[in-house]
Amino acid sequence: MIVKLKVNGEIRSADVSPETTLLKLLREHLNLTGAKLGCDVGDCGTCTVIVDGKSVNSCLMLAGRASGREVTTIEGLASSEQLHPLQETFEELGALQCGFCGPGMIISAKALLDKNPEPTVFEVRDALSGNLCRCTGYTKIIEAVLDAGRIMSTAEAKS
Amino acid sequence: MATKTKEVLESKVKDSEIEDLTAPDNLKVPAKPALKPVVVPVDKPVVYPLDLPESEIRLRTPAVGQRASRPDGRLHGLGQTQYIDDMTFPHMIFAKILRSEHAHAKILSIDTSEAETMPGVLATLTGAEIPVNSFGPTLQDQPVLANEIVRHAGDGVAAVAALTEQQASDALSKIKVKYKPLPAVFDPLEAIKDDAPKVHAPRSNIYASKTIKKGDVEKALKKSDQVFHKQFKTQMVEHVPLEPHSSVAMWDANGRVTIYSSLGRITLGRDDLARTLGKPMNKIRLVGTIVGGNFGGKNEITTEPILAILSKKTGRPVKGTFTRGDEFISSTTRHPFVMDYTTGVKKDGQILGRKIRLVLDGGSYCSWTSTTLGKGGILAAGPYDIANLLVEAHAVYTNKTTTGAMRGFGAPQVCFAYESHMDDMAHALGIDPLEMRLRNAFNEGSVSPTGQLLQSVAIKESLQQAAERFGWKESTK
Repeated sequence: MIVKLKVNGEIRSADVSPETTLLKLLREHLNLTGAKLGCDVGDCGTCTVIVDGKSVNSCLMLAGRASGREVTTIEGLASSEQLHPLQETFEELGALQCGFCGPGMIISAKALLDKNPEPTVFEVRDALSGNLCRCTGYTKIIEAVLDAGRIMSTAEAKS
Repeated sequence: MATKTKEVLESKVKDSEIEDLTAPDNLKVPAKPALKPVVVPVDKPVVYPLDLPESEIRLRTPAVGQRASRPDGRLHGLGQTQYIDDMTFPHMIFAKILRSEHAHAKILSIDTSEAETMPGVLATLTGAEIPVNSFGPTLQDQPVLANEIVRHAGDGVAAVAALTEQQASDALSKIKVKYKPLPAVFDPLEAIKDDAPKVHAPRSNIYASKTIKKGDVEKALKKSDQVFHKQFKTQMVEHVPLEPHSSVAMWDANGRVTIYSSLGRITLGRDDLARTLGKPMNKIRLVGTIVGGNFGGKNEITTEPILAILSKKTGRPVKGTFTRGDEFISSTTRHPFVMDYTTGVKKDGQILGRKIRLVLDGGSYCSWTSTTLGKGGILAAGPYDIANLLVEAHAVYTNKTTTGAMRGFGAPQVCFAYESHMDDMAHALGIDPLEMRLRNAFNEGSVSPTGQLLQSVAIKESLQQAAERFGWKESTK
């Protein structure tokens, strides 16, 4: 079956078998390997992408269901000139260690900050509750999300 | 401050006193009294980088307290880091492994003929086809693919390589394995009994032991005002690295093998590959890349030899990635410990003697058990000055998932036991738990259970400062 969707602002299409998940479509057909396969059952969040503004586990969504929708992956955040504030603060504050959870973590945080740029610690924790990290102990990740939120709301106020 | 630090550092480098302190064979306690640790007042929160007085020790460790960023952090955040599963090679195919459903069974036969006719299947593999079907970092007691006996539910028994992962998975269900179930043992205390089923018959289930003796523990227990005894147990823990084990193997026409692997210890892995594949080491290229979480669970080979031989059979690059299920049942885990502590104390809380028996649930294969046994045994008495000590530690086989390296190599298990034991004794004696520790903790120049003279001992100062900072006295009022 042909799946046609918008990924990071570009129209993309692929011919996939019906059982193909959105994650497999992205990784194996579109070569976007930023989203990872960690558990394949929706527990770990390493496969998180944004579909029509909502963060979803792409390992649980069939590619066919993503047809006609708008998908943002980790590869769609930075431009060749500029990192996304989340990518800056995650790097700066050491929120990434082995880095495997990073793309999913940053995408979940982006879905939160796009709606609520000044979240409380509890709102950040809640938004990241579907993303597991085994290295950092989460503290630096939460700091990085709060910091990125501050940068984003300051930039918005200036413009 | 940085320039000044550098100057002082350079001027101090020639100082013979410093060389004395760092000489590896110098076990003398430095004559100079140790510098007082920096006290951070409660009303002043800690801000980084720490603004500390330029003490001699401080100047020798100028990086402490400074910010550092990871060189790979940028690519991690961009999603551009290439983990093994992100790599593809032209004509690459995929392998899956059939795992035993029995905890202990004799393999009567393995029939892969039907699987070979399944769509997309290019090759199958059983243990009989592996040149040297055993590996392990200490004892080579683990088969790459079991072909005689399975020793835990999760042992690999056959592998399939196919054009897609789905086709490989489908073909696994067509492999017919006939088993004769054998009696199994799951409790380490049962496994040490003489009549317990033998996991590696005819060998004993006890496969590694360590004894540490210091002073006369029986005499010390007799002299004690009170003797406490308690058994502590810990559970099996899986590392759960977010990146499942993954490798890609390529066997070229000249007989050289290149393997990309999420393995942490590639030199050791290369040695195990040379052994299992029956090839000289110079024919094996093992490429380690960024590992998506190791924690000790990626310290030995798993499926690499299987992928290599499947690549040889098919002439294709072969990728094998664990499912989360494989990760739980067939990668290594943390050892469950059964720990018996007997401690004799004086009324004032001073420990006179301690007797410890550790039984490590070693699972079905040795892996890093000897290392864990050693470290667990050495650290079992805790950071306490105990003149009379007996530690007996044993690792036993059970028909469970293999236990191996995991952060701390046995240290967390014994720490749980000796600190819980300390609290129990303090409460029974009516002594403040902090005071109980201060009375027994190592001092500068104390001798460890294995005879090392200890230097730079700051445990008492650390405990006191920590207690002050988090308000221990107030919290126990």
